[in-house]
Amino acid sequence: MNAPGAPIGLSLPRLEAGEKAIGTALYTGDMVLPGMLHGAIVQSPHAHARILGYDTSKALAVPGVRAVITGDDIEFRYMGLVVKDETAIAKGKVRYIGEPVAAVAAIDAETARRAAQLIEIRYQPLPAVTTIEEALHDGAPMLHEDFAKYAKIYDAPVGRGNLLAHSIATQGDPAKGFAMADVVVEETYTIAAQYHAYMEPCAALAAFDPSGKVTVWSSTQSIFRTQANLHECLGLPMTKIRCIAPRVGGGFGGKSEATVEPIAVLLAKKGRAPVRLVLSRNQDMTAMRTRHPGWIRLKTGATKDGRLVARDCELWFDGGAYADDSPAVMNFALYFVRGPYEIPNVHCEGYAVYTNRMRAGAFRGFGNPQMTFATESQMDALAAKLRLDPIELRIKNALPNGARWFGGQAVTESTLVEALETARTRAGWDKPMPPAPPGKRRGRGVAAMAHSSAFLSTGAIVRLQNDGTIAVQVGAVDIGQGSDTALSQMAASAFQLPVEQINLATPDTDSAPYNSGTNASRVTFMVGKAVGEAAFKARDQIIEHAAAMLGVKRDEVSLAPGGRVVVTGGSRHNAEVSFADVAARSIWAVGGPVIGSSAVMASHAMDQGHTKMSGWLSFEAVGIYTFGAQIVEVEIDEVTGAVEVTRAVCVHDVGRAINPCATVGQIEGGFAQGMGYGLCEEMVFEDGRLANPSFMDYKIPSALEVPKTIECVLIEKPEASHPFGARGIGEPPLVGAAAAIANAVADAIGKPLTRLPLTPERVLRALLAQ
Amino acid sequence: MSERVAVDLKVNGTTHRVSVPAMRTLMAVLRDDLGLTGTKNACDQGVCGSCTVLIDGAPARACLALAVALPGIAITTVEGLAQGDTLSPVQQAFLDAGAIQCGFCMPGMIIQATALLAENKRPSEDDIRHSISGNLCRCSGYTKVIEAISLAASRLTP
Amino acid sequence: MTETRFHAPERLEDAISLLSADEDARPLAGGQTLVAMLNADLLSPSQIISLHRIKALQGIERRADGSLRIGAMTTHAVLARSGDLRGAHRLLGEAAGRIGHEAIRNRGTIGGAVAHADPSADYPPVLVALEAVIEAVGPKGKRVIPAAEFFQGFLTTALNLGEIVSAIILPPSPAEACTHYEKFARVEGDFATLSVAVALWGGGVRIALGSVGPVPVRSAEAEAKLFAGQLSDGAIKEASAKLVAASDPIDDVRGSADYRRLLIPRLVKQAIRTAQAKDAR
Repeated sequence: MNAPGAPIGLSLPRLEAGEKAIGTALYTGDMVLPGMLHGAIVQSPHAHARILGYDTSKALAVPGVRAVITGDDIEFRYMGLVVKDETAIAKGKVRYIGEPVAAVAAIDAETARRAAQLIEIRYQPLPAVTTIEEALHDGAPMLHEDFAKYAKIYDAPVGRGNLLAHSIATQGDPAKGFAMADVVVEETYTIAAQYHAYMEPCAALAAFDPSGKVTVWSSTQSIFRTQANLHECLGLPMTKIRCIAPRVGGGFGGKSEATVEPIAVLLAKKGRAPVRLVLSRNQDMTAMRTRHPGWIRLKTGATKDGRLVARDCELWFDGGAYADDSPAVMNFALYFVRGPYEIPNVHCEGYAVYTNRMRAGAFRGFGNPQMTFATESQMDALAAKLRLDPIELRIKNALPNGARWFGGQAVTESTLVEALETARTRAGWDKPMPPAPPGKRRGRGVAAMAHSSAFLSTGAIVRLQNDGTIAVQVGAVDIGQGSDTALSQMAASAFQLPVEQINLATPDTDSAPYNSGTNASRVTFMVGKAVGEAAFKARDQIIEHAAAMLGVKRDEVSLAPGGRVVVTGGSRHNAEVSFADVAARSIWAVGGPVIGSSAVMASHAMDQGHTKMSGWLSFEAVGIYTFGAQIVEVEIDEVTGAVEVTRAVCVHDVGRAINPCATVGQIEGGFAQGMGYGLCEEMVFEDGRLANPSFMDYKIPSALEVPKTIECVLIEKPEASHPFGARGIGEPPLVGAAAAIANAVADAIGKPLTRLPLTPERVLRALLAQ
Repeated sequence: MSERVAVDLKVNGTTHRVSVPAMRTLMAVLRDDLGLTGTKNACDQGVCGSCTVLIDGAPARACLALAVALPGIAITTVEGLAQGDTLSPVQQAFLDAGAIQCGFCMPGMIIQATALLAENKRPSEDDIRHSISGNLCRCSGYTKVIEAISLAASRLTP
Repeated sequence: MTETRFHAPERLEDAISLLSADEDARPLAGGQTLVAMLNADLLSPSQIISLHRIKALQGIERRADGSLRIGAMTTHAVLARSGDLRGAHRLLGEAAGRIGHEAIRNRGTIGGAVAHADPSADYPPVLVALEAVIEAVGPKGKRVIPAAEFFQGFLTTALNLGEIVSAIILPPSPAEACTHYEKFARVEGDFATLSVAVALWGGGVRIALGSVGPVPVRSAEAEAKLFAGQLSDGAIKEASAKLVAASDPIDDVRGSADYRRLLIPRLVKQAIRTAQAKDAR
């Protein structure tokens, strides 16, 4: 598919890198419209309370205030991906500390902020449940009394209090499997809430036009999910909602669903002017989303020669006050209950629970990092018990090509063994590490991982423009990962054009075909596939026009670099027409404009005959599986317990790296974020109140904490089902990082830690307990 | 609320007379009053470094400075680095090294790197890491940022 | 709603009279804490009195008796690089270099940091260890307060209404003193989980801890044991026990109280040994 010299596999600078470097790139919070007002929110001080009433008079009396909205301004209309349980702003009750409960629009940000503080809300505090255990007590207060009535897309538990989802899956005969086992290990792993910490806090700008249609620019991962959520919670028809994503400063899953768009729209409507609402970091940290905290009990049986024969798992996720993606995240975690291994007998149960805390939602890895921490820690525990090398044990049990994934989906290509072997060689695994300096301990650890790339549906429209350049419309948002550039490279390749001749349109629900979102490591894979298919259709039309113009048969012409179609052979050898000539013919004379379009859907079916599942979301498809292995070296300070990651080797199957520099950027960044998850990031809640709601108190790794070397090795085996051979790489680098670090720490101190993050305090205690 | 105060702000070589509330931070004035939105607000506590500008040549947090306290003092923002269409050597190196991802931290990072190289022509990797340790980036592992700064240093001082 | 007014007087007396006339007025030094608090809506002062134009608050001066007078508006960056800090005074420069990050150090001032009196901040244990004196100016004139008495509790100082810190005075130091400021934090630039300020010289041992109580922790008994035991491992152990007993740490996101107590003997020893090693160089 890829002609020589075409831009696949080139590390082109990002198309928008220049504007980002000089500071002219426009993110939502940078945009200004004539007459624009500034929004500010009021947040709930209660973990759980009934709202008795509002007094907005003082706020409205402030000069410059144009609108105040509260729950009284909306109907009980609900939005949500899997459970429709959220209103645009709190109505009737508040369910977590920090929940937006009212908002103000004023002529400037200071006025809005001050006025927001003057809104008086009368609450009747209700008993709150801020942990899974409290939420499940008999007689525990219900967060959602109407849970049974909510629209849902899965078989939800009903009449079980705050239990939001309960999924069960069984493969083979677990009892028999454990009976066959020579060794059994069992452990409970505890995981903390991690904050996405995208550098751009959530923001939206909403403006109504005279026809009553609202345009919403926002910092989102999905313009179509934003549109759907606005439609659901505000009751506006989609004909009246247009969503656009300008530059987005990171998302990592946290901007997959609605953030502040519904509030901005309500303010714009009531204030009769455009409204820009940008959260402060503190507001973002207390009102938005986290990775799911919880615990995983995992039990594995193996034969004495190291074959995994049985696994049992019980997983509990704290979903917070609204369902958001929780049932899906919990299900997705369970898909990885076996890790990337063949285990014939498995039973697992997963639970997601409502609690009076901020929502947990999608976050890079979508449940898999939690599960992989448990499964990969347990692999090391097993290896120790069996006296096997951890990599040997993993290779021995690696899922082979053609085997079935948990859930029954066929895995066409497993590169796990290659990834492990490559990592082993690269890291010098078989050689002992140099001795630690005095006062330090050294350790090395490995984690293997698999992740799916793909999921859900997307489309693309590819058009030939009058001057012979190509316009590409997709609904995919580049949130910083570089998809605009990668998709342009793919389109350019299909037409043998330089990327400068591709116009990748801004994501806009008014013009783009549907795309579910920038998540699930899916844009390069799924949207790339859609772009490829649409481009090839347009290309065929160009060739057909050209052949007719040149008076030869279709198979006598071919594309040439630079937007030309050339006759190859025969009497008209080397005669050519340009794309612009073709465009002119199509527009003015014959056939109509050249347009190729595509619609694609992830298409790998589950099989109940392989894995019996109940209470699951009916995901018919979870894409293709991608494998990787990471080895890290750590140095532990015996005085404080502080862990330094001194080296990381990250080997990942990327299919074909469309833009290797961007691919490596994803791997380095994913590892660093996973390192934060493993070592220092923990949202600490005290009775539902976040104790560290700022970057002062919640720390993400800086340039001094990340390893000096993050060695990235790309395994490039072009994926057959993708027109350009790509696989997704957004999430895999994070998935195994915490597990690899935990295994390295265990190696250093001779004792595994089962709770994330591995703070100095926890590590020192483990050291001293020996 | 605060009283409005007239102040002459010297930003990127141009003096702007603005009348702003006394409590408005330099960041807010740059962004909202002068339309220089390259300076980013990502934490408003001085921790993340996204709003780093040069005040009198030294890197400082625009979110922790009150504009009214800076009359006539030279302020450089990311918009002041390029010469017309020509990127500054640091900006160009960030492009060439592929250091730019979502870009939100980049204006602060580039300002910080510019200040480092003004003072230290041949920074070691360790110097670079220390210098940018107050500039948080969530997309990268900082590797390419450090490469970019090294690249800029080697171009500026061959 | 009242409007916050801004003043930037050139004369110290004018600043004092503005501040003493209005208890809701706040002095603005480098702003690295004050403006962060304003941004977080933790303060709504009636007036901001900027001190940046007041010459009397600037500069470092070595006095005839060998003491050092550091003007309150001296930035952390200046102190971190200052050649004026010699002997035990170097401890102050070491601590200054560990505050936040470069951009913070360029604006933040010692006077502001000291007046804020955050028990996790870097200067308080150093000033207590060095037996520094805080010079304050208020409506009743100038007075000096020993650092150990100045820090009175969490964000609480001996300053009265209308008083500001005008200078920090470090008493004379023997040139041969060796020092170490040991800071343990979750990540570089964070507030300390525990900090240890150590100064050693022939005739003395000074040690104070930060972030393990509402005020810096110093123990005469501990220092006596260290001195008598000539900094032996055994003496360090005994001294650490005294410091642990004198500490009153809290649980917070930087570590539990128990962990901080656990760290005290470990980091005290490390700080002393590191200071000694610097001496050897």
